[in-house]
Order: sequence, then structure tokens, then C-alpha cells
Amino acid sequence: MKHIKKIFLLAVLLCLYCSLHAQSKPLSPADAMDVRKRISESAKTTASLEARFTQIKELSVIKEKIISKGVFYFKKEKLLRWEYTDPFPYLIIFNCDRIFVKDEDKENHISLQSNKVFREVNNILVGAVQGTLMADTKNFECTITDLRDEYQASMIPVNLKIKETLSEIILYFSKSDYTVDKLVMREVSGDYTHIEFSEKKINQNISDAKFTIP
Amino acid sequence: MRSLLFLNIILLLLLSACDPVKKSTLSLSQENQYKAPTWSSPFLKGFEKALFRTSLDVADKHLTGISIIKRTSDSSFHFTFSNEIGLTYFDMELYRNGFRPDYIFDPINKKSFLKILQSDFALLLFSESEGKPTRRYVQKGSGDAVYMYLGMHIYAFMDIKHNNLTGLAGWSNYFDAVLVRFEDYESGFPKEVQILNPKIKMVLTFTFLGG
Repeated sequence: MKHIKKIFLLAVLLCLYCSLHAQSKPLSPADAMDVRKRISESAKTTASLEARFTQIKELSVIKEKIISKGVFYFKKEKLLRWEYTDPFPYLIIFNCDRIFVKDEDKENHISLQSNKVFREVNNILVGAVQGTLMADTKNFECTITDLRDEYQASMIPVNLKIKETLSEIILYFSKSDYTVDKLVMREVSGDYTHIEFSEKKINQNISDAKFTIP
Repeated sequence: MRSLLFLNIILLLLLSACDPVKKSTLSLSQENQYKAPTWSSPFLKGFEKALFRTSLDVADKHLTGISIIKRTSDSSFHFTFSNEIGLTYFDMELYRNGFRPDYIFDPINKKSFLKILQSDFALLLFSESEGKPTRRYVQKGSGDAVYMYLGMHIYAFMDIKHNNLTGLAGWSNYFDAVLVRFEDYESGFPKEVQILNPKIKMVLTFTFLGG
């Protein structure tokens, strides 16, 4: 009787494991290609995107979180505006190869050509929104996994410069419209930053003035 | 005998060159008898952790973002500073006489700079009154009492009326001479903390966001 109970428990655990595993398995090359194609098609039709975002920075050593919030704007081809409202107002505008940062009353102009970190951050953000990051095989190795409600694209840097800072970038795409829902940047230090987009407005008119660098 | 005198003069000149406090901003107190003050860094008594808006200016670099200083034991603190997007610049455990870097952003990962930063944090986080001051001055303008502890290489600036520590100055060599300012106290903790290293032109500013 004891043996039957043990076997039954083992079978239940095995079923549970299989069920969980089935919900999050990496896609076959053909299916991954299909998902990439859908993401790419969605990105092609996304001329603009406006969304609220919540950014959580997890500090691994001291087990603390830093939470920031704000509004995100994207306009084709390479216009980005990050407007932080919490915990304090802060603005970053990426306009082609220039960056404008406004921190309280301090304004700072940065050239993407001269600042490698910002250049990489810009490439990652634009690539994430446009879905082109997954095609960047020069810099990343990509695995797509089918989760219950979304697709997860795990990007492992192969570029040595990116590898010095980031160990993985994970993008989560909505299964309904194939736009990016979440972005996770894992750092080599073990810390990670989780950015979640909400209240997404796709292809609504966003004034060019939002991206103007004074 | 002459060489000893010469050596003393050189030593005196070296010490005054390292000293970060301009004597012209102070006047020597006329009080001969005064009670030895009791003070400690605002990060020592009852401090657990704090979130700061932070900026660092050094050489041609201007870094901004958010930092956390957290007390991790009786003799250590943890300091993490990352930019607004979340990428880490510094992640280090700080001790009175050293530090353990967990991660340092490559462009600022310079041994000499980190050594200065460590001594700045030692002054900021671990300083407290020990023994009787060597001299007592009054700061011109603010009227703050300034206590000099020659053996410790420390000056402590005190707002006597509110019993607040308003500044610290310290040095162990020419390059690490540092001034720390504590401003806008609220419930016993400063809302603004600034570290200035005049010799290497470094300014590190912390604006308190929450505990």
C-alpha cells in the first residue's frame, strides 16, 4: 500500500513537471522563425508607440528594489523619449545619433558616437521596440520560448563589449499584437532591471516636438 | 639639529598643503575652556538605509542616477549607484579601512580613484568624535564651531544651536583631501550631502529621496 502511494505521488509530480515544462518550452527553429516573422511584421506597422512604464531595479547583494515610473514614447525610425516621473522627474531623448538628458535644471547633450554605453542602450531599446534585436546575430544569441500568455526572447550577448555589462536581455512579446510588453536586462553583477509597459497606444499621433533636442 | 629643523618645516608645509580647510575662512576661538563636543556621522546612529538621487562629476565624466546606502553590519555599509535606466556604476561593500567592489563600471574602474573614493566614504560614514579636539575655530559667515582633531586629520563643523554636524574635512595625503557637507536637516538626517575632493575636482552629491 505504501509503495502504491509513493508511485501515485511520483506520477502526480511527474505530470505537474511535464505540464509546467510544456508551458515554457523553447520553440523549434521553424516555430521561432514564424514568431520572429510576426514580431517583425508587427514592428513594420508600428509607426509610433506611447506607453506608461514601471521600471524595477533589483539589487541582488542587498536584496533591495528601486522602483521608477514614467511615460515612454517611440516614433519611427529612431526617436525615443523616456520621461521619468517617479521617484523624481528626469528626461532622456534619443534622436538619431544624439541624446539629450534633462535632470532638474541641468541639461546635457551626449553624442551617441562618443558614448558607447548610451549607444548600446539606445540600440537595445530601439531594437526591442522594433523587434530587430532578435535578428542582431552579430551581438546576440537568441532563444524564443512559448509562455502561456506571451513569447519570451532570451538574448545572450556574444559581443565582448556588451558582455562586460549585460549577461542577458529578455524581451516579452504579447501574443495578441506581438509588441513588446516587458524588457529585462540582467547585469553581470547579478542585478537586473525589469521594465514593464502598460496602457500602450500604438500608431497614435505623437508630435515631433516630443523628440526635439533644444 | 639643522636637518631636523628642516625636516620639521617640510613636514609642516606638507601638512598645510594637504589640509582641505582654508584657514582664511576660520577665526581661532578665544574660548580657552570648552566642553569636548560629541558628534557622529548621520549615517551611524539609528541609520538603516536611504535612497538618494545622486550625481558624480569627476574629470570629464558626469554620471547621474539613483543610489542606495544600506547599513549591513556594525562595521559595514553597502553602496550601489546606477543610472536612471538601471545600469550599475558602483556596487560595493564599504568598511572603515577598505572596501569590497562587487561591480565597478569599467570607465571609472581606476585603482587610484577608487582608493580616494574609499577614504571619502570612510570619512562620510564612520566618523565620530574621539577625544578632545586640538583646536576650536569659528567659521566666518555661518558662525559654526569648527573642531580640529590633528591626530585624526579631521575637522568637524557643528551648528551648535541645533546640535547638527554640518561638515567634515579630512585628509591622509595630498590627493585625498576631502570636504563633506551636510545640509537641510530634517528629523536628524540631512536632505543633501555633498562630497568634494578639490585636488581631483570630484563632486559627489546625494539628495535624500526616502528611507
